[in-house]
Amino acid sequence: MLAAILRRVGRRLLASIPALFGVVVVTFVLMRVLPGDPAVFFSSGPSAGKEEIEELRRSMGLDRPIPVQLVRYLGEVATGNLGRSMTTGQPVVVDMTRRLPASLELTCTALFIALLFSVPMGVAAALRPGTAIDHIVRMLCTLGVCVPTFVSGLLLIYAFYYLLGWAPDPTGRIDIFAGAPPDITGFFLIDFALKGDWEGWWAAFSQLLLPACTMALFVLAPLARMTRASMLAVLGSDFIRTAHAMGLSRLRIIVAYALRNALLPVLTITGIVFSTMLGANVLVEKVFSWPGVASYALDALLASDYAPVQAFVLLMAMIFVMVNVTIDVLYGIADPRVSVA
Amino acid sequence: MGVQSSSRPRVAESADDVNKRAASFHPANGGDMKRRVLLQGAAGAAFLAGGALPASAQSRAETLRYVTGATINTLDTTMPGATREAFGLSMNVYDRLFSFGRKKVGENWAFDPDTIRGELAKSYSISPDSKLITITLRPDATWHDGTPVTAEDVKWSLDRHVTAKSLAAPQFTTGSLTSAAQFKIVDPQTVTVTLEKPDRLALANLCVCYAIMINSKLAKKHATADDPWAMEWMKTNTAASGAYIIDSHKPGESTVLRRNEKWSGGAGGALPFFKRIIIQTVPEPATRANLIERGDADLSIDLAASDLPTIEKSAKSKVVSIPQTNGFTHISMNTQMAPFDNLKVRQAVAMALPYEDMFKAAIFSRGTKLYGGTWATVPPDASFPQAIPNKTDLAKAKALLAEAGHPNGFSTTFAFTAGQTATAEPMAALVKEALGKIGIQVEIQKKPDAEFNTLESEKKMPLFTDGATAWLPYTYYFFYLYFTRDQRWNFASFKSKKMEDLTLEARYQTDKAKYEEGCKQMIELFNAETPLIMLWQPNHDAVMAKSVDGYTYQFYRQADFRDLKRV
Repeated sequence: MLAAILRRVGRRLLASIPALFGVVVVTFVLMRVLPGDPAVFFSSGPSAGKEEIEELRRSMGLDRPIPVQLVRYLGEVATGNLGRSMTTGQPVVVDMTRRLPASLELTCTALFIALLFSVPMGVAAALRPGTAIDHIVRMLCTLGVCVPTFVSGLLLIYAFYYLLGWAPDPTGRIDIFAGAPPDITGFFLIDFALKGDWEGWWAAFSQLLLPACTMALFVLAPLARMTRASMLAVLGSDFIRTAHAMGLSRLRIIVAYALRNALLPVLTITGIVFSTMLGANVLVEKVFSWPGVASYALDALLASDYAPVQAFVLLMAMIFVMVNVTIDVLYGIADPRVSVA
Repeated sequence: MGVQSSSRPRVAESADDVNKRAASFHPANGGDMKRRVLLQGAAGAAFLAGGALPASAQSRAETLRYVTGATINTLDTTMPGATREAFGLSMNVYDRLFSFGRKKVGENWAFDPDTIRGELAKSYSISPDSKLITITLRPDATWHDGTPVTAEDVKWSLDRHVTAKSLAAPQFTTGSLTSAAQFKIVDPQTVTVTLEKPDRLALANLCVCYAIMINSKLAKKHATADDPWAMEWMKTNTAASGAYIIDSHKPGESTVLRRNEKWSGGAGGALPFFKRIIIQTVPEPATRANLIERGDADLSIDLAASDLPTIEKSAKSKVVSIPQTNGFTHISMNTQMAPFDNLKVRQAVAMALPYEDMFKAAIFSRGTKLYGGTWATVPPDASFPQAIPNKTDLAKAKALLAEAGHPNGFSTTFAFTAGQTATAEPMAALVKEALGKIGIQVEIQKKPDAEFNTLESEKKMPLFTDGATAWLPYTYYFFYLYFTRDQRWNFASFKSKKMEDLTLEARYQTDKAKYEEGCKQMIELFNAETPLIMLWQPNHDAVMAKSVDGYTYQFYRQADFRDLKRV
């Protein structure tokens, strides 16, 4: 069983290599086709003349033909060197290893909160379709999905930080006046827990809560709607009627039989939602000064800073592959029939 | 006032007056004797400062939290690509040989380019022919690692600035500082700078952001054969002697500074007030405004203009608005591209613009007007930028356009960068409307920053708006930088032999009256040729907690933490 899963994971990872290669090449070419010359942009100092711009272009390796640049870039990627960011002045790998945990921690927490609310909401709506509960759930989902994240984020900040003063100031992952957090995994909640520093854990958690809620609001809709639709389909099927006829308890029927079967499509959606959130949470990261990868990539894109954007797209592609593989494995656990494929 | 300031007299302001006499560039009365100027006004203050409290846990009152939308991308300002935020950091962390003084502009402080005081230098003298500058270093100056500052370090730093492929080299050429042979060590405390011609900007160039003084012993340890000037190492490390020491640096997140208790480069030797500075990147302007209004952050200089009225009314914060005396916002016309190669077309555009409406709509009248001057052809004084006699006169604009051979107008584009949307977008709408009235059809183009910069550099836009600030705001330098040579900052691609001659003449002119006469001629020529249309000097709006005082507008448009105190 376990060996089968591992084999499948291995096959899937191998199969994804051509796709990743394609992503690297396409982003590379795309960045160079876009208007805007990074050498000009970054040599905008008061005394930067033509020669300085040329010098910078040469030092960035942009004076050579694009195919030559591409081959060199591919070689560097293969050795784990993703170049240097002009926006932060750091090697991209260093930036990414510091920022990716921030993004992942935020996204995972947001997804957790979203699932915590959306699955019960979807189930409740499916059990009483057409009633007030169903309508309330539908309304909440519509609200969540139609308010852009930067609006809901700013509103939450205005209410909980500016007016009420309950939330800490929305700047980054930890109170700026507090000491530096332990640097073990980069996930602050895990790091503080490992050290047993619960005060620090709480501080990090309260910083995390507002941005996570903002993101959760936005993805509530797809998750709750999918849960509802899939629950409705399962609840109407024969084996549920049989279970009712057998006199099983209502709770057992809903949770053990209906929900477990209804979760398969929800899992698929969760995988997609997670990948989208990771890339699309740029507005939340901006509003809450969250030092994540998405806002990092956006800054780089605006500045025509090639290396971070290329690295970001590659990273997202890799995460997408990983998430898909994970979802596949989870599929097998939720429904053993799938795992042999 | 906290314990800190009562234990130590604050002499910074009075010291400025002492230094007022220090640095005029031109030996006005023939210069028959070597002038020697003592720069460190109140030396006694340094002793008192030495007895300051030990560095204990810093209270919130002694900590300044500065929030910004930008990123510090290098610790070495001379690196190509350094951001403005990096310049600001460098001024607080590195010392230069000299520093500009400051003066009151209305209620507020602004840097004073006509007053130059020593920072690492204790004093200097200029030879009668203005070709030899002798610089004496502060005997008590030390690097952050505790070793003394020597003439050898200064020589190495200056050599680096003219030799290494950095941004310092092109800047230094504007002060005729071009080769390492110009810098000589006389003794461990004295360095001389030799100039081929008496360049008026030699000394001022030693004050700019690039002119950092580097601990050469430390830097050399990290130099390699490929990188003899330790450029790579200095991007992420410092070898400095300045007022603040970097405690932690996370690019794109935060940078924490602590005060250098041994710093002696301040005006009168005074230490800065704040013991700890937190520089934090907060990308969203609304969040920055919230932080300041709530009193959680102390200072920000890049808020949205629309947030300022609210903050002016708030109980915990205030706005300090200072005209950017060394800058200007302009509408440039490409003088090498039809139809703007025709002077009459340029004059017609200059007469068609609705200046007052633009001033109100774009910057809410927060600035100094550079239009509506009351003179006709000869400017009243040699200062620049100054109000140019442009005013709206549609009838005359139409007539000029007809004379130029475009009675029915023409079509063109008006471009601006996305980064300036807030001010440029309302302006663009007004430009389009006004030029439409005289028959010029305008298509508005909003370009991403990198693309705009590229087009600007390649001179491909016929009509656009942009802003500019000169680090060295001397009239000659403005014209040299923005209206001569085929280079990026010549926005209008202006070509004029007369202008080239005038700037060249002014550069080495040691006679003050002749220099000012030349400057007036440059302004006259500029007005007659209208290569670009001056609009205004926008205000530099610094938003800070009510308790923060002493904010000074600096030529590099960043906060100088050494000027600030909490009252």
